[in-house]
Amino acid sequence: MSPAYVSGVGLCAPRQGGNASWSAAFPGLTPSDPSGELLPPVLRRRASSLARMAAAVAGQAAQQAGLDLSRVPLVLGSAYGEIVAAVEMMREFDGPTGLPSPTRFHNSVHNASAAYLSIATGNHGFNTALAAGRATPAATLLEAMALLGEYGGDALVVMLDEPPAEPFALADPYPPAAIAICLSTSPGPRALAAVSEPRRGPAPIVELPDGLAFHPCAGAFALLAAILSRRPATVGLGADGVGPWSVDVAPAA
Amino acid sequence: MSDPHRSVALPVTGFAVGNALGANVQEVARALEEGRSGLESCPWDLPFETVCGVFRGPLEALPRSLAAFDTRLARMALTILSGLDDEVARAVRRWGRDRLALVIGTSTGGILETELAYQARTVTGSLPEGFDLDRQHAFHGVLDVLRAHTGATGPAYVVSTACSSSGKVLASARRLIAAGVVDAVLTGGVDTLCHTTLRGFESLQALSRRACRPFSADRDGLSIGEGGAFLLIEREGEGRVLLRGVGESSDAFHMSHPHPDGLGARLAMEAALRQAGIEASSVDHVNAHGTGTVANDVVEASAIASVLGRGALVTSTKCYTGHLLGAAGATEAVLAALAIERGFVPATLGAAPLDPRIEIDVCVKGAKRPVRTAMSNSFAFGGSNVSILLGART
Repeated sequence: MSPAYVSGVGLCAPRQGGNASWSAAFPGLTPSDPSGELLPPVLRRRASSLARMAAAVAGQAAQQAGLDLSRVPLVLGSAYGEIVAAVEMMREFDGPTGLPSPTRFHNSVHNASAAYLSIATGNHGFNTALAAGRATPAATLLEAMALLGEYGGDALVVMLDEPPAEPFALADPYPPAAIAICLSTSPGPRALAAVSEPRRGPAPIVELPDGLAFHPCAGAFALLAAILSRRPATVGLGADGVGPWSVDVAPAA
Repeated sequence: MSDPHRSVALPVTGFAVGNALGANVQEVARALEEGRSGLESCPWDLPFETVCGVFRGPLEALPRSLAAFDTRLARMALTILSGLDDEVARAVRRWGRDRLALVIGTSTGGILETELAYQARTVTGSLPEGFDLDRQHAFHGVLDVLRAHTGATGPAYVVSTACSSSGKVLASARRLIAAGVVDAVLTGGVDTLCHTTLRGFESLQALSRRACRPFSADRDGLSIGEGGAFLLIEREGEGRVLLRGVGESSDAFHMSHPHPDGLGARLAMEAALRQAGIEASSVDHVNAHGTGTVANDVVEASAIASVLGRGALVTSTKCYTGHLLGAAGATEAVLAALAIERGFVPATLGAAPLDPRIEIDVCVKGAKRPVRTAMSNSFAFGGSNVSILLGART
């Protein structure tokens, strides 16, 4: 596949605003407010924290890229998705009716964040939601680049996760965090970097702040850091049972 | 969006299916041709009555090396996939392990095991020993099982867009092959019954107390089932059925209600036709989403009529299997492929008397007839729509 060009990026990490280690890792990028302002109030009230993060990073990246969110296809990647809503439903099964809240039920689907975005922006086009464990960034980027190969134009990639709730908390905690990357088939005037097709192979380890290395989409944050560094790099996109995935990043001319 | 890859048809070189009708293609096809539903009173302990489609047939334990991944989902996946083992092995030999991708749809993955673990904790105070969130609950757990079983080392990921999940995997397969990432993709979907969906759809007042009756004037909700299907898509190869096109769209309307004008459904069907490069009039069979809910069926019928006219014989097979949720897309694609291969369109059980607002040709009696081009629709929470076009190889 041909390389894709990054025209905008977004970062959202609740409670990390002004954190110096995050500013150092992601130079020049201020994490967006996870209020999900892109969502109209009625949707924002119902949306999960994950959906609000998705809206925040999508809005930030699209603004930088000059993209219309009502038209751009969306590829969303998340290893655990709406696991917080799913566990909360299990608590509700022990309640008086034995039934979950209808809103929580429809919020528990893996594509809820993509759906809220499409509803908020009136986008009748393509969106999808993927998962591949710690290889989620590689899978998400592959699907997005194959989509660009199929249709051309632009694609918005959002990758995000939040930690599973008790009693399913993982041994290595990580912060809830999301990124977005706008990709294009052509290097427009706003291009920040070119990204190659993901391939199997190792890459140097990138230092990430505050437990972000344990985030299932850690590779996405490493990719964002490489884009912002404006230096050529080979970046690890996570690993699956076969081995690691990596991608080459080159700053735009 | 332009569509430079239109008219590239890829062979479906093999498929497998299992659900309440049977554990393999032969059993499922026989039940459809005999007009025999697999739905029955739901045997689960629930605070309401419903019917559901329980997987028919034994589920063998996973190999010892995969014991930590053991779930009903994984057992069901491998049981069904055993019907396709020879074809997958052949594809691995032909293309190489790294040129075979796995793209699988599921809505709830291994959540049944998580629910059971959570219930056990309320009694004992701790999660069961051996419960493993990553290997049993998370979507990548079933990917690891399928990777180990098939030997595939290409990209592997789950598409999870609720009830359109395993329809959309066919679009992903087409893209990955067109982009040259791989030469073959094992696609499919699998979902089990679980409290999350049974109780969740009840909370939406969407479940029927009896077997669902798609397109009927008397329909009053859906029935849930479990099962799955796999389709092997290759760059080239033998196979009587071709994947002609896949259309994907969004309602952009509501999280759990379809667009009242069927806008997203229409867009998906039109996109599939455009990608396949065929005329609407050449579609002679539709395996509809047809859930049996009041809202879906009339909207979908209107969308089908507006895009395809009234020439296609339309059926919903959810009255046999129940709504397989994340596994519905792949399952119904397989059933559409069977209609092409066997020249038989199954009856929509319980459809009579038809809703008078429905102005499409609903198949109320099983019909032996040639099917050259078949469409399969799947629509989901969040307004995610997919429409798949399959055709007979000429």
